[in-house]
Amino acid sequence: MLTVRDLRVSVENKEIIKGLSLEVKPGEVHAIMGLNGAGKSTLANTIAGRDDYEMTAGSIEFDGKDISELEPHERVGEGLFLGFQYPVEIPGVSNLNFMRTALNSVRRYRGEEDMSAAEFMKLVRTKAAELKMDLEMLKRFVNVGFSGGEKKRNEMVQMAVLNPKLAVLDETDSGLDIDALKVVADGINAQRKNDTAILLITHYQRLLNYVQPDVVHVMIDGKIIKSGGKELAAELEEKGYADVA
Amino acid sequence: MPELIKSTYRDQAASLSGTLAGLDSLRDKAIDRFAETGFPTARDENWRYSDIKRLRGQAFAAAQIQSDARIPDAICTTAARLVIINGHFDQERSDFGDLLQAISVRPLANHLMANSERANELRVGREATSVLNTALMRDGLVLVVPAGVEIDDPIEIIHIMHDAENAAAQVRHLVELGEGAKATILERFIGDDSAYWMNSVVQARVAEGAALNHYRMQMDGSQAIHTANAAVSVGAGGNYSACNVSLGASLARFDAQVRLLVDGANATIDGVALAASRQSHDMLVHVDHRMPSTNSDQVFRTVADALGKSSFQGKITVADGAQQTLADQSFKALLLDRTAEANAKPELEIFADDVKCSHGATIGELDAKAMFYLMSRGIDPTTARQMLVEAFTDDALARIDNAAIADALRNQIKGWMMAHVPNTSGKDAA
Repeated sequence: MLTVRDLRVSVENKEIIKGLSLEVKPGEVHAIMGLNGAGKSTLANTIAGRDDYEMTAGSIEFDGKDISELEPHERVGEGLFLGFQYPVEIPGVSNLNFMRTALNSVRRYRGEEDMSAAEFMKLVRTKAAELKMDLEMLKRFVNVGFSGGEKKRNEMVQMAVLNPKLAVLDETDSGLDIDALKVVADGINAQRKNDTAILLITHYQRLLNYVQPDVVHVMIDGKIIKSGGKELAAELEEKGYADVA
Repeated sequence: MPELIKSTYRDQAASLSGTLAGLDSLRDKAIDRFAETGFPTARDENWRYSDIKRLRGQAFAAAQIQSDARIPDAICTTAARLVIINGHFDQERSDFGDLLQAISVRPLANHLMANSERANELRVGREATSVLNTALMRDGLVLVVPAGVEIDDPIEIIHIMHDAENAAAQVRHLVELGEGAKATILERFIGDDSAYWMNSVVQARVAEGAALNHYRMQMDGSQAIHTANAAVSVGAGGNYSACNVSLGASLARFDAQVRLLVDGANATIDGVALAASRQSHDMLVHVDHRMPSTNSDQVFRTVADALGKSSFQGKITVADGAQQTLADQSFKALLLDRTAEANAKPELEIFADDVKCSHGATIGELDAKAMFYLMSRGIDPTTARQMLVEAFTDDALARIDNAAIADALRNQIKGWMMAHVPNTSGKDAA
């Protein structure tokens, strides 16, 4: 699904990712754990195609296709989704309009017809209900006036509507209380049932109590220094990064 | 300024002598004043952002009556469609609907013919363009809405300029709303590519408890100069609500002077300007709070593309004793290119101590974070930019209470975005 080889990435001429390789197979859940500054978010943003992240070496293959030259929206068309650590507030754009434009953009990219307004509403209603998101919130402007938890819930609804092949979730669990954390976990687990592969980027082990990863990676200073099963997360929690590394 | 221009306008004023009953002495006064001052320069504070070389460099002829101009389709259900071509009211091509059963609509000439004393109610004006309008006015409409009469559908006044190279239209409209009356005026301005000058003055009086909505859709031709002045007074509990959407002309100015004369008078003055390459849009507002408990609110949003310019000068004055005044002003400009320009000059003069007045002005680019967020959901950069610009301009359209007009304005803005936001990659956007 996702194959990253010898990736090097610079931000403002400073190398952040220093030779990273990663392979995620369809339906797998991988967790990348690491301290602040390890380059986790840089990895997520690079995979999503953010333009101030400069790939200086290596390759990113998605579903057998080199996506490193694709624009962010084209990568979404290919089936990628990025969940934000800090979802952006967009005054003046309603959530529903945003999601419908997004979904139809993706469908057009794939050569499919637009989804009708009625069909779309049905889809959103179902997904919002599954994730316990109040439909009224979807009528409001994108993330404006949302609490931290509501923003993350909104990310999960967007993910469910777009139904990606791979979701990269960048610290989606940060700053959440336990209820919100469960919502995010539910969103991830529901998506998992649809065979979506998931790359969870996280600081803490606690989300992994609700989402069982297939593989855990430890990232330090722009590299993955260790990979293992879910027990690696527990080990990290117990011993700290220094000892595991 | 060349004397030849002044003498040409003096001759034009003289040739109009006797055409509008009771107006000659006002014309004389105006042309004398114009001869004294001429057109302003960039050193004049109110004109510092407007390049009026063309007005200073040539005398415009009086635009002639035209009958073959195409009248644009209506954008909403209207109470009446009143057509003005090259500054001349075209009764034949106007559609009064049932309006005359409820209110009085007359050409300026008939209004003054009926009572020449009423010429005294016409203002000479402050700015040179308004003063010249007084000296050279030929035609216009006088709308009188009697007390208590409410006209739901907008009264559309369509100004068309056609085949008017180097010619000017000097239009003067008067709008009077009696106590408790309600009306919506939709002014539209369109024109061909001739290098004309549309100079319009609207005088409006909103009596106690009356409500006037004044929407303007300025889409003059690409070579045109558009200058407009709205001089409005509002009585107790009355409300004046304006929205000026400026898309056309090479130089466009909209100058609103609103006086809140009695306790409880309200005004909202909003606007959107979209400046494409080498276009300059100026919006000037002066809200004068004369009495206590008067409210005003302004929301202006402008977008300027490469080599485009948008400027806003907003003045709020609160007279001594005008306590409990609430006045707010918000101006935001979006620059789509490094060569785009925006100017903001808020000005508050407050002589009362128990008031709440605020203003904010920001000039910026599209939010790169928001762009990436939209693109990270599959939305292409062109659509993403359009969504953000529409969201931005929508702030200034929020008070339009006629959905069809608001939609029509949104569509014009969308059309402008399609034409002026090229299919650039997200890399340029960020």
